[in-house]
Amino acid sequence: MNRLLSSLAWLAVAFVGAGALGAIALWRGEPVNGVFFVVGAACTYLVAYRFYSAFLAARVLSLDATRATPAERLDDGRDFVPTNRWVVLGHHFAAIAGPGPLVGPTLAAQFGYLPGTLWLVAGAVLGGGVQDFVILFFSLRRDGRSLGQIARDEVGRRAGFLAMISVLAIMVILLAVVALVVVNALKHSPWGAFTLAMTIPIAMLMGLYMRFWRPGRVMEASAIGFVLILLAVVAGQWVALSPDWAPVFTLTGPALATAVIVYGFAASAVPVWLLLAPRDYLSAFIKVGVVLALAAGIVFVRPTIQMPALTRFVDGSGPVFAGTIFPFCFITIACGAISGFHALISSGTTPKLLTRESDARLVGYGSMLMESFVGVMAMVAACALEPGVYFAINSPAGIVGATAEQAATTISGWGFPLDPATMHQLARSVGEETLLNRTGGAPSLAVGMAHIFSGTIGGERLLGIWYHFAIMFEALFILTVLDAGTRVGRFMVQELLGRVFPRMARTGSWTSTLLASGLIVGAWGYFLYQGVLDPLGGINSLWPLFGIANQILASLALVVATTILLKTGRTRYVWVTLLPMAWLVTVTLTGSWQKVFHENPRIGFLAQASALEQQIADGRVPEAKIADTRRVVFNNRLDAVVTGFLALLILALLLEAALHWYRILAGRGAGALSESPYVRTKWVEGSP
Amino acid sequence: MTARVRSALRTLWRLLREWSGDAAYDTYAARVGKGERVSREAFYLDSLRRRYQSGQPNRCC
Repeated sequence: MNRLLSSLAWLAVAFVGAGALGAIALWRGEPVNGVFFVVGAACTYLVAYRFYSAFLAARVLSLDATRATPAERLDDGRDFVPTNRWVVLGHHFAAIAGPGPLVGPTLAAQFGYLPGTLWLVAGAVLGGGVQDFVILFFSLRRDGRSLGQIARDEVGRRAGFLAMISVLAIMVILLAVVALVVVNALKHSPWGAFTLAMTIPIAMLMGLYMRFWRPGRVMEASAIGFVLILLAVVAGQWVALSPDWAPVFTLTGPALATAVIVYGFAASAVPVWLLLAPRDYLSAFIKVGVVLALAAGIVFVRPTIQMPALTRFVDGSGPVFAGTIFPFCFITIACGAISGFHALISSGTTPKLLTRESDARLVGYGSMLMESFVGVMAMVAACALEPGVYFAINSPAGIVGATAEQAATTISGWGFPLDPATMHQLARSVGEETLLNRTGGAPSLAVGMAHIFSGTIGGERLLGIWYHFAIMFEALFILTVLDAGTRVGRFMVQELLGRVFPRMARTGSWTSTLLASGLIVGAWGYFLYQGVLDPLGGINSLWPLFGIANQILASLALVVATTILLKTGRTRYVWVTLLPMAWLVTVTLTGSWQKVFHENPRIGFLAQASALEQQIADGRVPEAKIADTRRVVFNNRLDAVVTGFLALLILALLLEAALHWYRILAGRGAGALSESPYVRTKWVEGSP
Repeated sequence: MTARVRSALRTLWRLLREWSGDAAYDTYAARVGKGERVSREAFYLDSLRRRYQSGQPNRCC
């Protein structure tokens, strides 16, 4: 009887989910409500978690609840600590969810709400969740070893080296692109720049509190920090209105980029307790709180989706970024659907905390579904805006013009009516001078979130406060990623250079630290600066590059997982990792090819370089702009080289893995499996 | 009913403290006993060193 009831309940969930997704896919002519997105996604996740992840756990991976995890066997109370699975879920989710699932869907909304939403849901269920779960499980069986180490042990030394290089490459591009998102959100915005600047002394105050006054009291310090941050958001309005202070915090793109680069260098060199750790604690609290508030806000406000299901820009002529749905929708949305970076987290701290093997399902698969849900909410927030407003905020001046009147004419000509007065009024109501040409996704997402929040608390009167709270929320954890990523990048540079110059490997040496910090900051700083100077807004070049790098890392993780499945004789289940891997390899190689060689200058780096050179040769570039244009030509060629390099990386890895797979399938030896030996858990009978 | 709510809130508070790292020293102290225990400050600094200087990314995009 219970079984029958359970089956009926799951059938009902499946029908409701299918109905909601069917409605958003097929309804035409009248606006869809945002609640359909939430219900459709949530029901799909529930069914996928209940059935597909259970299949992965039982059949494909054979999770063994009697087997002791590294946290139990190697328990030292520090690195390896058996931890409640809900706590690990929270840790893991806070680690994997960054700006990606917010910004990617916002940018992909230019295709309409449908392609991005379907990819978010299907990608997470069939790709991202699988990747995170299997890598977490394989790391769990190998004492919490990292993806690079597992690649070296299971596929070969070359694979391990390729993994390290690709992680470093993705790190540089990731840091540049997230920094660009912050710069584009804060340029000419004294309110936003002041609020974000204030997070630095607030974080330092928290750092001092936790270091000297109340060591390790994270919750007390975070509560103090949160109150101060709210005060800074409110005070930002006074600063923006002050004739003395507003000019101090009104910064141009290049000035902000320089400030972010200097900050990144300084933050990676000062002690972690002073800035990075307190900011990380604060941003984790705010991140989780805002995500929950956004979900509640969407259900409460039930925003109407204004964006059509599909826009005319599916043909690749989009103003936000150029390129057709395939492959660019699947590259633009990485985090939220499938992100290679997650494999680094799944093979980092998380496997050292799991109490039971069976917890890997909830933590690995479950947290990916939660991140996907964040992406769906970002899509709702972006698509709830008037499409004309969305395109005015997200399109560069080079395409829609730099004034509200020019933008309104261009965007209305695309079939999305826009009144210049609307843009002036919107900017005034959120306390900004202008919202035009704010590429990068963060400002339009903040406007969408502000509308949802103000619909719940405060109404139009608090729109400005909510907008800047949302900007602060995005910028806060982007800076955390910047701090932490620069530091990790520094260690990787030191390790790599240490192979040639042993003195560089000394992490305690100031010379080595400053040199490695300078190299990593110089690398991402260069890409950031070129993005700021880019006439097409920078996001058009850098975000696809970031997406390609991230998906290549995901392909690498799935190659490693496929190899282990083959080595352990689970050939009949190899499709669970092989199919998403094949899809990602197809997407990334097509995307790489198009970004390098496409004849459309807005898509192909080489075509754009040639077109600009031709303009210089024809005398169509003013004398004063020739040097800048030559720099853009060089940057495009550099981007082409980087993209080609990433494509070659994955091809080299595939070749290495394919040879290995052939040897396994032909029975010529699978090579040793690096799994730790079985030890029976002491907790098999009861809970710890 | 009140007792149940109180118990649920206590559990939630405990999980929140564990998640945030607030309870890390208490967990450690309970595990190692009084003998070899380092101070709360030393433990905090050591946990930060391990977390951020491992060369492993701990924050995603």
